[in-house]
Amino acid sequence: MMIALLLAALPLLFWDQGPETAVALKQNGIEQVLVPAERLPAWKATGLAVRGITAAEWGALEEASAPGIDRQVQVASATRSPYLIANGWRFIRNRSAKYRYSLTAGKAALAAAESCAYGADAALQVETADLESVGKMLAFLRGIPAADLPGLADIAVVDDQHALVGEVMNLLARRNLLFRAVSASDPRYPINIRIGSKEYSEEEASDPNAFALKIRRQLTDERRSVRVYGSETVLCRLTGDDTRIRLHLLNYRGGKVDGLRIRLRGAFRKGQARGDQMGEIPLENFAVSNGATEFSISAMNLYAVVDLQREK
Amino acid sequence: MKRRTFLQLSSAAMLGLGNRNVEPSYRIVSPYKPSPHPGMPGPFRGQVVSVRSAKCIDDVKDEVNAAVVREMMDRGMRQLTGETTIQGAWRRFISPTDIVGIKVNCVGRPKVVSSPEVVAEIVRNLTELGVKPNQIYIYDRFAERLEEMNYDLHLPKGVQIHGAEASRGSIRHYDPATYVEVDFFGEDDTRSEMIAMISKFTKIINVPNMKDHGAAGVTGCLKNIAYGSFSNMDRSHRDRQTHTYSFVGRLAAVEPVRSRTVLQIMDGLRGVWHGGPFAVIPRFIFFPKQMMFGTDPVAIDRLMLDVIEAKRKAEGVVSLWDRTVPEGKDRNNPNVSAYIREPGHIDFASTLGLGVADLAKIRVKEIEA
Repeated sequence: MMIALLLAALPLLFWDQGPETAVALKQNGIEQVLVPAERLPAWKATGLAVRGITAAEWGALEEASAPGIDRQVQVASATRSPYLIANGWRFIRNRSAKYRYSLTAGKAALAAAESCAYGADAALQVETADLESVGKMLAFLRGIPAADLPGLADIAVVDDQHALVGEVMNLLARRNLLFRAVSASDPRYPINIRIGSKEYSEEEASDPNAFALKIRRQLTDERRSVRVYGSETVLCRLTGDDTRIRLHLLNYRGGKVDGLRIRLRGAFRKGQARGDQMGEIPLENFAVSNGATEFSISAMNLYAVVDLQREK
Repeated sequence: MKRRTFLQLSSAAMLGLGNRNVEPSYRIVSPYKPSPHPGMPGPFRGQVVSVRSAKCIDDVKDEVNAAVVREMMDRGMRQLTGETTIQGAWRRFISPTDIVGIKVNCVGRPKVVSSPEVVAEIVRNLTELGVKPNQIYIYDRFAERLEEMNYDLHLPKGVQIHGAEASRGSIRHYDPATYVEVDFFGEDDTRSEMIAMISKFTKIINVPNMKDHGAAGVTGCLKNIAYGSFSNMDRSHRDRQTHTYSFVGRLAAVEPVRSRTVLQIMDGLRGVWHGGPFAVIPRFIFFPKQMMFGTDPVAIDRLMLDVIEAKRKAEGVVSLWDRTVPEGKDRNNPNVSAYIREPGHIDFASTLGLGVADLAKIRVKEIEA
């Protein structure tokens, strides 16, 4: 399938408007798009890199949700935590899938950042109103130095493809409890969750919020690879190897986050951070002690990437 | 609330235990050392000067009489210190080289706040001592609330107004090296960081109000300096339960807050007997017409607690100490409560050495101005 070639490191836009809109795409730095297959011939003359996708192919892609906050003001809540809609858990659960986002205005930039942070193969159907913001985000994403690092996790979740497992993964991700989806228990992780086992019953897992808290208590905050202070709407993905790590920070609230404190388990040397619409972000009050590294970020927009080297 | 939880809580109440038997695990992180003589409880441990005046506020027009406030403060400060002059009294706490933070309270805006007239009189006394206006900071957590109060209109040019959170929840202007870490209810963010500006102050003057508080029972000196100096506070209440019982005192005891808060001036010109810390329902606002002076926040709060309790009793509503008060969020009904109140936080603070909570041991000097 053609889109397999296109959906590489960066997300692609799916653009169903006519070729007369090519100028608007170019003005926003968008040089390649997916278009409906029947419009492909007309689009080829525009000078953009275009590929066609049939309705059937589009429909066959896994659907990702429009990311952000669902305020659910009409629903009584068991928690004060904002209800985040995030797709990281899907991308971790099924790394080989190809995804499609159908986005309302205001969501495209975060969706682009989210899919890129998880290295997901994704196409984004965006509104005209988002061309400028998503164009800027794509430009930022292109400028991030490549780092093909595996995801790091503290917890293994045995995935039997049950919907309940997905919801548990969702809540773990929303609490910044880093997990890996595995097909069988993995002794490298201190906690292996198999829903339906004596220790992790289906009944318990049916309240994913409480279940995530139980897992957090079992792991302990001290042993968590990453913690975020100052926001409940910034979610992390941590990748790394023996020499370095890359921390991805995604802000699901929208707007600017004014101050964050990050704690990483392990000792790291001060490195670099960059954020969309921010450029270089200084890592302030950098401190390494008691087996952990902490630093502050004075502000970030939707997406920031922090690269650190491990201390020898 | 589950019946079993309710019974556990009410049993604790009957035993007078409050929440002390479930004190969470606090981790205090601060690079600051206590001073040899911490500001709290300070040199006047267990002593309070209470000054009343029927003329300090016109309770029909709801207007403060600044001249009477000046007299109340003059007499209160001199009585507290035993000094014959007002400058001598202030000199006991502040020197011209000090960087002074004035911790105001704006939660009960627009009226039941640290009165601009009281704040202006404090600033006037400081500048007369030789403290330059740009060495004086009026501070609180929320910039928006401070701006609403327009303190600057009452103060000399140069006095700084500092709200730590320009946007609600921002920790940018908090000190990441000075914090209290505690997990109350499984919240994600378990840190409460101190306002960074506090480390620049060499002295702090605390100016709370006399108010009921739906969670803490009352809010006075302790809660104003504690919850008003740290981030991420409202996480300490959830459902019916609140950890104000221990959290208030634990925060107030963090260095440098404890050492540098050298003076407590309780602004009780107006008060709130229900619905606090807010003051949005006029019928819950009253006029104690009283100010209290001291260095011991526990002693002042213990007396203030009785002021609020007496007013509630006069209004015929449930006691602040009643742990069986029905759950309810009707802000107009003083006989229900969202949380089980924890007025015992004052007593708990005394166990941390912050002051004297035993009424029999508090020496009060009453003055009618």
